[in-house]
Amino acid sequence: MNTRTTKRISVLALLLTFALLTVSAANASSGEVMWEVYNRDSGETMSANLIMTITNSRGAVRERRIAQYRMDKNGVESKLMFFLSPSDVRNTSFLSFSYEDGRSDDQYIYLPALRRVKRIASDSKNDSFMGSDFTYDDMGSRHPDLDTHTVLRKETVDGVSTLVVESIAKGDEDYPRTLSWVVEGEWFGLKKEFYLPDGTLGKTLTIDEYEAIDGIYVITDMTMRNLEENTCTRIQMENVEFNQNFDDSFFSERQMKIGPRR
Amino acid sequence: MKQKNNVLASILLIVVLSPAVAGDGVFSGMVRDYATLRFDQVDMPVHEITANLKYDYYGDLGKLTLHPVAYSKPNKGLELELQEAYFDFYLQDADLRLGMQKVIWGEAEGAFITDLVSPRDMRSFILADFTEIRKAVPAIKVDYYAGDYTLQGIWVTHFIPSTLPSQDSMWAQTPSMPFPPIITTTTINDSTMPESSLENSEAFLSLGRFGNTISWKVNGGYVFTDEPLVTGVTAPTPTSREISQGYERYGFVGGSFNTTLGSVVLRGEAALALEKPLNSVDTTSTPPISIEYHNQVQTLVGLDWNMLGAQWSSQYLLTYTHDHTDSLVSQMKPIKEFAHTLTFRVQDTLLDERLTAKLFTYVELEPANALIRPSLSYNFGDGVLLEGGVELFVGDEEGTFGVYQDNSMAWAALRWYF
Repeated sequence: MNTRTTKRISVLALLLTFALLTVSAANASSGEVMWEVYNRDSGETMSANLIMTITNSRGAVRERRIAQYRMDKNGVESKLMFFLSPSDVRNTSFLSFSYEDGRSDDQYIYLPALRRVKRIASDSKNDSFMGSDFTYDDMGSRHPDLDTHTVLRKETVDGVSTLVVESIAKGDEDYPRTLSWVVEGEWFGLKKEFYLPDGTLGKTLTIDEYEAIDGIYVITDMTMRNLEENTCTRIQMENVEFNQNFDDSFFSERQMKIGPRR
Repeated sequence: MKQKNNVLASILLIVVLSPAVAGDGVFSGMVRDYATLRFDQVDMPVHEITANLKYDYYGDLGKLTLHPVAYSKPNKGLELELQEAYFDFYLQDADLRLGMQKVIWGEAEGAFITDLVSPRDMRSFILADFTEIRKAVPAIKVDYYAGDYTLQGIWVTHFIPSTLPSQDSMWAQTPSMPFPPIITTTTINDSTMPESSLENSEAFLSLGRFGNTISWKVNGGYVFTDEPLVTGVTAPTPTSREISQGYERYGFVGGSFNTTLGSVVLRGEAALALEKPLNSVDTTSTPPISIEYHNQVQTLVGLDWNMLGAQWSSQYLLTYTHDHTDSLVSQMKPIKEFAHTLTFRVQDTLLDERLTAKLFTYVELEPANALIRPSLSYNFGDGVLLEGGVELFVGDEEGTFGVYQDNSMAWAALRWYF
C-alpha cells in the first residue's frame, strides 16, 4: 500500500465517521421528538365516549358508539370498551392489556349472547380496528424504537408551528413510511400521512379538533381517509375525563359483564 | 295455562310501561322471524316469530332484570315465557344474584362439560340460539372477588331438568326397547320430579383466576342428571310394559383454563363425574333396564386463531366411561367407552363488515356422522340483519347427528335488535 492510497483511505474514513456522526446526531434529535410524543402526559386514567362514523366507498355511513376507559400503570396500558350502539352489538365489551416491553397484547371479549368472557387471539397491529380505517396500531401509541425518525423540516399548520417527522419502519409494515406533523412543545400530532411500499400516499389522518382538558391535550375529532379504498372513518370523543379513580379491579372480567359506569 | 299466560302478559305490560315511569330503566331486545325448509320432505316444519325482550332497571342497590320471551307459530297460540327474572346486588368485593337465572360455565363451545348449572332446552335439538338453548334455574349466586381470584357459590333451590323434544316433534327419537316381540304395548310415563326440598336442591362451587398468562377455574357440584333415566319397568299385563322415568343424583369435579401460545389461544376443560348414574340394558335380567353407577371423564382441548383475515377455531372432545360394558345406554342409545367428537369453526366478515360468513361443524368419529352448519348474515345497519343457512345432518344413522338425516334443512331469518 503506497502513501497516496493510505492518505485516500484516511480521508475517506474521516468523511465516513463525520457522516455517521452527523446522521446519528440528527437521528437522536428526531428520535427525541417521537419519544416526547410517546411520553407525553396523557393522564394515568381516562374515560370518554367515542362516536365512530365509518363511510364506505359508496358513501354509506355506519355509526358506532363506544364507552372507553383507559389506565396506564407499571408499563401496562389497560383498556376497557363497551359498545353502546348499534343495538345488535350493545353490551358487548372488549378488554385489552398492552405491554410496554413489547409482549403481545392480551385481549378478551364479552359477548352477551354467549354470557361468557372469551380470550381472543391477538389481532395483528395492522388489522382494522372494528371494521374502521384505523388499525389497532393507529389507536394505540406506537413505540418509537419500531421506526427510524428524521425531522425533515418545520411547517406551520393552521397557524401552529410543527415539526415534520419522517418515520421509516424497521420491520415489515403495510405503510413502511409515515410523515407526522408534531406540534412543537406540546408534542401531539396534527396530521399524519401513511405511504405504501411503492411510495404512493395510502392513508391520511387529519385532526379537526383538539382541546386541553385538565392541562392535557386531547384530540376530540379526527378522520382517517383510506385513499386506496376511498373510505374514511371519523372518531369524535365526548365526555373526556382524566385521572379518575380506577383501580386494577375495574379492568376485569367482572366489569366486562356489569357494563360501563353509571 | 291461561292463568300463567295472563300473568306473563301482565309482566310484559309492566316491562313495556316501566321505562315511562322509571327513569333508570333500559328496554332492549330482539324480534326474529325464522323459517325452515326441509330438503327430504320439502316441507316447512318451522315458521316462528320470536320477541325476545329484556328490561334492566338500575337502582341504588343494584339491578333488576326481567327477560320475557314470546313465541308465535302458525295455527298455535302465543307462547310466553319469563325466561329470567333476577336481582343483582353489587357490593365492594362481591356480587349477589337472586332469582331465575342462566349460568354459563366453562371454555367449550357447543359442548357441556363443567357447564352443568343451567339445563338445556332441546326442543329444537341444538339449533336454537345459544341463549335459547339454556334454561334458567331458581338460584342464589354469590361471587366474591379477591384480586385476580373469584370464588363463586351457587345454590339452585329447585331442580330444573332439560326439556326434551315432545313425541310429535321432528326432533323426537323413538327409543328401541329391549322387550321380546310378545310385548305389544310399551307405555313410557312422564318423568317423576324430585320432591322440592332442601335435600333435593343442587349446589355448585367454583374458584377461578383471571390472569394474563393463564386464566383458570376449578369447580364442582352436586347435581341431578339433567335428562331422565329409566328408573323402573313394570308389567301391568303379560303383553305390556310400563316404564318409569326419574332423575338421579351424582357429583362432579372439574376445571378449565385458557392461555395464549404466541397469537393462538389454547383452551381446555375437563370434568370427572363421580359415580354417574347410567342406564344399563340386559334382556336376560329382570327388569331388563336398570341403573348402574360409573365414573365418567369428559375432556376438551380447543385452539382459536386468526388466519387470512378470518377467525378459526377447532376443538377435540373425549368422553371416557370407566368400567364400561356394552349394555350401557343414554336415552336408550349405546354409550361408547371412548367417544370422540371434533368441532371446527371459521368465521369471516366481508363487505365493510356487513356480511358475516360462518361455518360450524360437529364431527363424531364413531360412528362417523356430522352436523355441518354454514350460514351467512347480512347487517343492514340499525340492528336489522338478514340471515340464511343450511343444517346438514350426514353420516351414520346411529350417530347423534346422523340420526336426523331426514331433517337436513335450509333456514332464513330476519332479526331486528332494538
